[in-house]
Amino acid sequence: MEAPQYVAARIQQALAEDARTHELGIHVDVRGDQLFLRGQVSGNDQRVRLGEVAHEAAPDLKMHNEIKVVVVNEPGEDEHLD
Amino acid sequence: MSTLTEVRIAAVGDIHLGEDVRGEYRKRLEGIEERADVLMLAGDLTRHGTLEEGRVVADELRDLPIPVVAVLGNHDYHSDLQHEIAGELRDAGVMVLDDDGVVVECGGTKLGVVGGKGFGGGFAGKCASEFGEREIKDFVAHTRYIAESWKMALKETQADRRVVLSHYSPIKETLEGEPLEIYPFLGSYLLAEAVDTAGADLILHGHAHKGTEKGLTPGGIRVRNVALPVLGKAYAVYCLECGE
Repeated sequence: MEAPQYVAARIQQALAEDARTHELGIHVDVRGDQLFLRGQVSGNDQRVRLGEVAHEAAPDLKMHNEIKVVVVNEPGEDEHLD
Repeated sequence: MSTLTEVRIAAVGDIHLGEDVRGEYRKRLEGIEERADVLMLAGDLTRHGTLEEGRVVADELRDLPIPVVAVLGNHDYHSDLQHEIAGELRDAGVMVLDDDGVVVECGGTKLGVVGGKGFGGGFAGKCASEFGEREIKDFVAHTRYIAESWKMALKETQADRRVVLSHYSPIKETLEGEPLEIYPFLGSYLLAEAVDTAGADLILHGHAHKGTEKGLTPGGIRVRNVALPVLGKAYAVYCLECGE
């Protein structure tokens, strides 16, 4: 049986290298038969694509896509650099 | 008519635009001329570096009422179309730096902006050096070449205030929050050393999504990580005093 660390590394590599995603900053955890994805992306479509690519890389694992979409708030207070 | 007493710099990096979010970022830039005198973009404007994404970015930035200066990031290089993407941005009126500089007029103040993508290698005491295999030497030599280019460009830039715009980080303080193991892929102290030698008022960078906004070079120059996930807002605004 493949060690979970290698499975996680393989999934992370797929997320970075698959042409549909190219996402470098996603945290991948494998615990037993469960797969957890965490991180932040710029849109919901990208979050969905990441889930698809991860599932294809490890189809036997139950996936929990906990990736968040970055909320772009209004610019706040200025910083004065004196 | 009085000249400006400070220059207001809006800055953000890592906006990672694509067709599915077309028009969204532009909405966040509405009214930017009331808040800032210039907008600076610290790379990773696209996701995969495709020309289609580059055109989305160009359209989001086209005809903004303030000058826009940008550098590209590693994502923008992924499809080997960085020159074409830079061309699209320039056609949209964006000044794109590639290890060189530009002077922007802000009121009566000349604001010099120098920079480019930057590169990695790590930080003093824990970094790669030009030794061993050709691949390692090429990696470090690339960063060294960039740092030298910035130093030269800074020395040649005649301006009242000078800002360095990069994608990769020049210091490790603004990487805090990222795994230590990947620091060498997030920046290089050679960039900070070059800027400390030539002098500047502020360094802006992106790339480190889990990093920290504020830091200092060893020489005391303020550094700000303006990656969008770090800021949590459309852009930050930094005000530099112009003096008399």
